[in-house]
Amino acid sequence: MTKLDINVVIGGPQGGGIDTSANLMSRAFAFSGFDIFSTREFHSNIKGRHSYVHIRARNEKVQGLKYPPDILVALDPDTIFEHFEDIGKGTKIIYDSSFENSDLSQARMIMRDTAARIKATLDGKKLTNNVKGMLTYMESNGGLLLPIPFEQIVRNAVDDGVPNRYYNTLGAAITLSIIGIDAESTKEAIKHIFGNKEKVISPNLKVIDEAYKYASENKLCGKTLEMAASKTRFLLTGNDGAAIGKLMGGLRFQTYYPITPASDESSILEEHEAITWLKGEAETLGSGGVAVVQTEDEISAVVMAAGAAMTGARSATATSGPGFSLMAEGISFAGMDEIPLVITLYQRGGPSTGLPTRNGQSDLLFALNTGHGEFPRIVISSGDVNECIYDSVKALNYAQKYQLPVIHLIDKNLANTTEVVDGIDVKREKIYIREQPGDNGIYKRFALDSKNGVSKMGTFGNQTFWLTGDEHDELGHVTEDTVMREAQMDKRFRKVEVAAAEIPIEERAVVYGDKNAKITLVTWGSQKGPALEAIEELSKEGIKCRLLYLRMFMPFPSEFVAEVLKASSTNIIIESNMLAQAAQIIRMNTGIDMDHKILKYNGRHVTVDELVEAVKEVLKNKEKKLVLKNGA
Amino acid sequence: MAHNYRTDLTIDWCPGCGDFGILTSITQALGELNYGPKDAVVISGIGCSGKTPHYVNLAGAHTLHGRGIPFATGVKLANPRLKVLAIGGDGDLLSIGAGHFVAEGRRNTGLTIVLFDNEVYGLTKGQAAPTMPLGMQTKSLARPNVYNKVNPVSLAIAAGYSFVARGFSFDTKQLKEIIKRGLMNDGSSLIDVLQPCPTYNNINTMEFYRGKVYKLEDDKSWDPVITESTKDPLEKYKIAGIKALEWDEKIPTGIFIENRTIPSFPKRLNEYIPNYLTNPPAVQIVSDSKGYTIVDPAKTFADKIA
Repeated sequence: MTKLDINVVIGGPQGGGIDTSANLMSRAFAFSGFDIFSTREFHSNIKGRHSYVHIRARNEKVQGLKYPPDILVALDPDTIFEHFEDIGKGTKIIYDSSFENSDLSQARMIMRDTAARIKATLDGKKLTNNVKGMLTYMESNGGLLLPIPFEQIVRNAVDDGVPNRYYNTLGAAITLSIIGIDAESTKEAIKHIFGNKEKVISPNLKVIDEAYKYASENKLCGKTLEMAASKTRFLLTGNDGAAIGKLMGGLRFQTYYPITPASDESSILEEHEAITWLKGEAETLGSGGVAVVQTEDEISAVVMAAGAAMTGARSATATSGPGFSLMAEGISFAGMDEIPLVITLYQRGGPSTGLPTRNGQSDLLFALNTGHGEFPRIVISSGDVNECIYDSVKALNYAQKYQLPVIHLIDKNLANTTEVVDGIDVKREKIYIREQPGDNGIYKRFALDSKNGVSKMGTFGNQTFWLTGDEHDELGHVTEDTVMREAQMDKRFRKVEVAAAEIPIEERAVVYGDKNAKITLVTWGSQKGPALEAIEELSKEGIKCRLLYLRMFMPFPSEFVAEVLKASSTNIIIESNMLAQAAQIIRMNTGIDMDHKILKYNGRHVTVDELVEAVKEVLKNKEKKLVLKNGA
Repeated sequence: MAHNYRTDLTIDWCPGCGDFGILTSITQALGELNYGPKDAVVISGIGCSGKTPHYVNLAGAHTLHGRGIPFATGVKLANPRLKVLAIGGDGDLLSIGAGHFVAEGRRNTGLTIVLFDNEVYGLTKGQAAPTMPLGMQTKSLARPNVYNKVNPVSLAIAAGYSFVARGFSFDTKQLKEIIKRGLMNDGSSLIDVLQPCPTYNNINTMEFYRGKVYKLEDDKSWDPVITESTKDPLEKYKIAGIKALEWDEKIPTGIFIENRTIPSFPKRLNEYIPNYLTNPPAVQIVSDSKGYTIVDPAKTFADKIA
């Protein structure tokens, strides 16, 4: 298979089919056997504002994105303006030649602050405030211009009054032809996307043919890439992964209130509410499906999921920062009443509404402390799509086994990142089934006689017992007795100690790379992939380093983390927040301070190259803190 | 042996509290319908009314302030076979939980909601609750109430509850019958129960209500039931709506509307989720004999294959 490592940014107006372009490219690469990694960036807007997808395709495993892109595809003038800082030496800029005279002042959908920065850049170089001026600026930064007559190509292909409805297909097809993906793979991809919508497929196929014809006539086509044998591969986002993992893990009741970027997961579950069972024994056992309920608010979402959990159903909810804030009281109740409940928390840029469609990792400390009073919980975090799948199974298992709320952190980057997943292993995780109490009427739900603090959980419809948010006795009735209070508090917290002892260390923290390296990068969440690639690249450059990757924050793997950090001479934390929250947790649990902090809070993903440069810079200049800036 | 519906806990409501009558009506209704420990669950919010589940010898949950309805909805939707009583006070259901109250009317999940309506927040020492009229000053208020009141019956009708009724805590015979009808309703039932708070509401006393309440069913032509064959359902709503507004001279009790044509939420889900009613989330088997998942991710999510 041909060696390939290419980064493409394709941008256009929100609602203008950018997702289809990205999907087309991702599938065409995936069909051809390449690995892909793509991230979607968009405004909190339905139509008009700039949105883009950054795709990286590679002949080997790809775990992060690189800047500057090799190709920038602009489906509108705004894209050229918005990505003014993203052009490097050799970046090809594909755009509709008719854009050239578009004025910056006409690009009303660009945020005013961004437009002001664009204008200042052009004025500083004494360039006209239009696309032509910007392209000149881009050329001066090493960009290669590839003006394409979009309208003419579409008109040659189809007779349609609205030619720009095909610009997304055209832009993607031109790009794929330049990279060297053959027309057949591109056409297969579009057929797959539009399924049986023959009326949509046929003109799109014509546009693809015409695009390849144009590229060939103008000698734009890259050498056709050699393909690898194709196998069953999934193209999944983090949202998809969590939904799949939850269903595999036995989830049968999910609640949600619409919020970006969490509600995609619930929509995906709803689309797949009718489950298909595995062949054999499973087929004889499986019946029913998953009930997904859109609630009136997130307070209802968390409390309703808790109610469902008390019937024995595996139950969860999914939300983002603002909704999670509303859930605080309900989570405290689930902790008090030992209710097995999973809350999937999709982090986005805060505080308040913050950056509702952009990345952030600023809810970690909050997740550890949500809700009043002291109660046990488990807090885990995923860093790639595979982990989203299996961690979702684990989250449900932890909740059932230790009877407590489990908060599963996923960040916006991961939620909206598409990765190739080579098969899903149904035998990787077992499903934990709780031991049932006897079927004998009133029983002690909160019995104090268990060594590990876990008492057998009865369910509504089977046993008679009570729940109350008040402190309670073994039956679940309200008590304010001093001795019972202490005993129940101790019982609840024994579960966390037991969980810490029972859960294997690899589910809590992992060291990657050269085990003996003296430089240790520490990260969590969606920086996992970029950090893994970064340690490889740094090692190639002679900077030996390893990665300490954190997966569980409660109970925190304190001893393991302390051991790793003490054995290295330089420890560098990488996080997508301002206060280095994981570093604070490390310090709280181990007393160890990070030597350097590489942080990003502009809402955009951490790219491999900026991370490599940042590590080199902090090592060289001994900077305590460095803030990453990449991203449009 | 008949099930004993009362636990052996000491009840710590104030002497003369309307809650006693409501508790009696609830347990009698459950007993007469023969709903045992595996059939029914009692859920509540916070406040004096919130203590009710502990006094009923059935599984129960005394949840958060205002959140009885969503918790009860979760129980019912995960196991629609269960009869679910949702108990709440006027502040609980109409102030902090007002959003859930309205949403539940839209859902029609199948809850039997008993609203303990005494116009005050008792357990926090008598503040004005959402059912207290504007300008009224009970003995614990520093100045007259500056809020207007909300009418629970009108609100429930507007929100779409399929069964809307009002009872009086000192008429346990009528209240018990209303609760039974509510429990048998497939959709959600809202039962507003007028009751005194002898400690903090010195205006809406037992005597105050006794002099005003009358029974809708005493009018032999009263028929609040709407079925598929009802000719003019709008007319029934019109009459119920007007009756709901009566207050100053006389206060009607009984059933205002019982609309059997609105499908319950479980029935709506059953349209889309295979075997939902016969194999709901609570009873589904999720793993095989070796402990692995029974879900086929590749077939279920075939659309996600590249």
